[in-house]
Amino acid sequence: MSNRPLDYSLNKPFRRSKFSAGNLFKDFTLVLSIAVLLVFGFFMLYSASGQSEFMVKRQIIYSILGLIMMFIVAQFQPRSYKPLFMHLFWVGIALLIYVLIFPSQDFSTNRWIDLGFISFQPSEALRLILPLSVASFLTRKELRPTIKDWVTVFSAVFLCFFLVAKQPDLGTALVVATAGLLPIFLSGFPFSFIAISTLILISLYPFYWASLKEYQQQRILTLFNPDADPLGTGWNIAQSKMAIGSGGLFGKGYLTGTQSQLNFIPESHSDFIFAVIAEELGLVGILFLITLYAIILWRIFIISFNAETEFNRLVASSIGFIFFIYVVINISMVVGVLPVVGVPLPLVSQGGTSLIVHLLAFGFVLSIKKRQTWS
Amino acid sequence: MFDSSEFSKEAESKKVLKNRSSILLIILLLIGFISLSQIFKLTIFDQERYLTGSEENRITIIPINNSRGLIKLSTGELVVENVVFQNLILELGDEKELFIISSVKDLGKTLELDTEQIQNIIKKIDFNKRYRKVTLLENLSNKHIEKYLLDEKKWPFISLQAELRRFLIDGPLFSHLVGYLGYADSEDEEIKNKGFETNPWVGKTGLEKEYEEILRGSFGFKTVEVDVHGEVIREISRIKPSEANTIYLSLDRNLQMLAREELNGRRGAIVALDPNNGLIKAFVSSPDFDPNILNRTEKGRFEDIAKNDQGPFFNRVISGKYPPASTLKPFIGLLGLQEGIIEWPTTVEDPGFFQVNGEGRKYRGWKEDGHGTVNLKKAIVESSDVYFYELSTQISVDKISSFLESFGFASISGIDMFGEGFGVLPDRKWKLGNIGETWFVGDTVNLGIGQGYITTTPIQLAVAVSALANKGKVIRPRVVERINDVYTSPEVLEEVILSDKSNWIKMEKAMVDVIESWQGTAHNLFVEGDIRLAGKTGTAQIKSLFEDDLSVKEEYSDIRKDKEKRDHALFVGYGPVPDPQLTVVIVVENGESASTVAAPIAKKMINLYIKSRS
Repeated sequence: MSNRPLDYSLNKPFRRSKFSAGNLFKDFTLVLSIAVLLVFGFFMLYSASGQSEFMVKRQIIYSILGLIMMFIVAQFQPRSYKPLFMHLFWVGIALLIYVLIFPSQDFSTNRWIDLGFISFQPSEALRLILPLSVASFLTRKELRPTIKDWVTVFSAVFLCFFLVAKQPDLGTALVVATAGLLPIFLSGFPFSFIAISTLILISLYPFYWASLKEYQQQRILTLFNPDADPLGTGWNIAQSKMAIGSGGLFGKGYLTGTQSQLNFIPESHSDFIFAVIAEELGLVGILFLITLYAIILWRIFIISFNAETEFNRLVASSIGFIFFIYVVINISMVVGVLPVVGVPLPLVSQGGTSLIVHLLAFGFVLSIKKRQTWS
Repeated sequence: MFDSSEFSKEAESKKVLKNRSSILLIILLLIGFISLSQIFKLTIFDQERYLTGSEENRITIIPINNSRGLIKLSTGELVVENVVFQNLILELGDEKELFIISSVKDLGKTLELDTEQIQNIIKKIDFNKRYRKVTLLENLSNKHIEKYLLDEKKWPFISLQAELRRFLIDGPLFSHLVGYLGYADSEDEEIKNKGFETNPWVGKTGLEKEYEEILRGSFGFKTVEVDVHGEVIREISRIKPSEANTIYLSLDRNLQMLAREELNGRRGAIVALDPNNGLIKAFVSSPDFDPNILNRTEKGRFEDIAKNDQGPFFNRVISGKYPPASTLKPFIGLLGLQEGIIEWPTTVEDPGFFQVNGEGRKYRGWKEDGHGTVNLKKAIVESSDVYFYELSTQISVDKISSFLESFGFASISGIDMFGEGFGVLPDRKWKLGNIGETWFVGDTVNLGIGQGYITTTPIQLAVAVSALANKGKVIRPRVVERINDVYTSPEVLEEVILSDKSNWIKMEKAMVDVIESWQGTAHNLFVEGDIRLAGKTGTAQIKSLFEDDLSVKEEYSDIRKDKEKRDHALFVGYGPVPDPQLTVVIVVENGESASTVAAPIAKKMINLYIKSRS
């Protein structure tokens, strides 16, 4: 044994012999926090959707589906799926091209694949596939990544960004790109390169701007000057702030928020559900929600830092940061600190694909966790 | 495969991850911290403000219209009522112009209108002025309403809205008295916040304006909870509108009709009132108009009325300013007696003209050969100008002015109607201020026969004559006898006290003789055994007879050529003597003959009034 690194092969007999509930959940605190957050989300969605049982039922079904997938993935060995992700990347790209060529009839943008019983957005899936593929590619060799490797992963990220932005969905494209850039940054992409690529991006910006559709340009302009669009985004933010502020310390009570129930909050069931929580449950409810998020993030980062291989650490921390970014951007946008971009509140906002992808991501995090019995 | 370099690489990658993670964590926590502070600020420090804001979002106050108060005669006969109009209203929002036009065309086809009518409707829409209501069609028939309602959903921005409008049962009969309504504008600002965003009609003239607040009453309000689209979710509370106030007028419909018929569209004014309490019985300004056209309850165009150059909108009774002419003589006579300058038997030689101190300019009387030796009674009966020229020069102008003022000349009579004029009661100060000249004796001479600078409104004259009738009481005239069940009460503005009270009776006797004496200027009215009247004629000159070398007759034939320059015919009177019930003032512009044009109207009116009362 001497100073050999910790190896999974040592764990194998343990895993096979002992298959307990502890092994199934892997990290009880994390799973419990996720479950509590989901249930909390169902109640808030019921209120925010104008008490639509249908919407809540659908959300519950997606959650169960996502949880099952999470538990299955949690049982995998990271090294068993690590090589798979290089191929999955191409599947993701194929799906993105597919939606561009065969747009779904029922939606205004080409984001969806309709499988009859379920429709999903490949771009959401890519948000998970891309960072795992990047992490897998960068750690495929024992050596430090070469310049060629960096160029390869950057090209992959840009390809995804380009295809999603083409749908056109600039918001998700930025999220996908961020997800892809996270493992690159975390694995030690040199700062000098960061500076150079930033310069390149800035110089390319005018060409990019010209290629944008008018409404996308408008959205970016509004982003920097909300007053220019008083009845659009500005009005939304004003109503959202009014809901949060009027909720006060303890809120107006569940199902009795006037801003929420009388539809003054825009998109109250999806992007702006945070405002509904704030209005009806007050600062107390918000702190409860934030505590749940904090526990989830804490568990993910603990798992990440204790993980054995660089791939595992990169995957877990990338997933953790994506989740963190979602939470921070959504809340900051709803309270008016950041401009409005279409980012849902993870695990709470309505939306099947997003929910399943988040839970699936937690499955990968759980699979990375070292077994309790070993430590 | 696994060696020490592997381990060191592992340690290094851990270190890199830790550093990079720290950077990201710091950034995210920083943004998170800012957002959290914002949440604390919103919920803890700004809660009150946002709570108010969210309440304002949720709660909307909707005014509940009441119907405008009715106007009736004291007998209960209806004068003004409210009629329901069903109108099609377009609420112009963000819709595209072409879309609106095609919708309106579609609507027109549904209502089976012809293309010209549809084009007229489209012309009413000003696409540059958004977010306002446009009335597309007024007073829809039941057939049209049915057709509209069948396809209502096709035009969500067009709605059927009921509106109450004013209708005067007798059309133009009470036009100047009642007045008309119009849309509220900046002038009506004082009655803002009384809900006229939902009922923009306000009184613009006459009683409708004067009694706007009483007729309008107070609006009710309901507080409702609305959602973001303005849809009412539930009603929270309701304050009922006030019951409509009914105004009862003192007018006599038959008398009013007679007066209007007698003027028959000629320019002029008639006012009749009860001298004992100031209640108006007839109130006619001619020519008049149909207020229903302005109230938009009768077809017709405002422009067509306004085209009439005789001034149909001008309320001559309260705003028309006329020289009182000889109708002023009884007042000047009373002043002469009061001041002790003359007594009833005092005589003056009337050769047909008057010269101040027997020299200089000749002031002519209306009768070229004069009236001979004249005392006060004869001067009233025959209306000797020279007598009053002589008398007035012996009284200072200031005394004349203040005496006439006590009868209400050139001061607001206080009638309950908007738009009363003052008239002019000249004195030294007035002339210096308004003409810029000092007062001449000649001015006093003219003032003595009610000519020159002096002007008065018919209502002022009626108040002054009523004071003669009731022996000194200047009573505020009024049109409204009661509001609902509350009677208005007479108001004595001034009491003129004569040192010798018998002069009232003696003056009345002189005014009776204007009619009853053979020499009386209105003897043509006299019928043996009829109701006894007191009266005084007046012929108001518009053109002064200044040229000394022309005789009166020559000048007149000259002047007569221009109808606009002919004299106004005036008659004031009351009856029956000795217990007066009605004062009448008649002004016929350019009527020339007071005795044959103005006086007979007064007699007919008093007769009708007295007969209908007994």
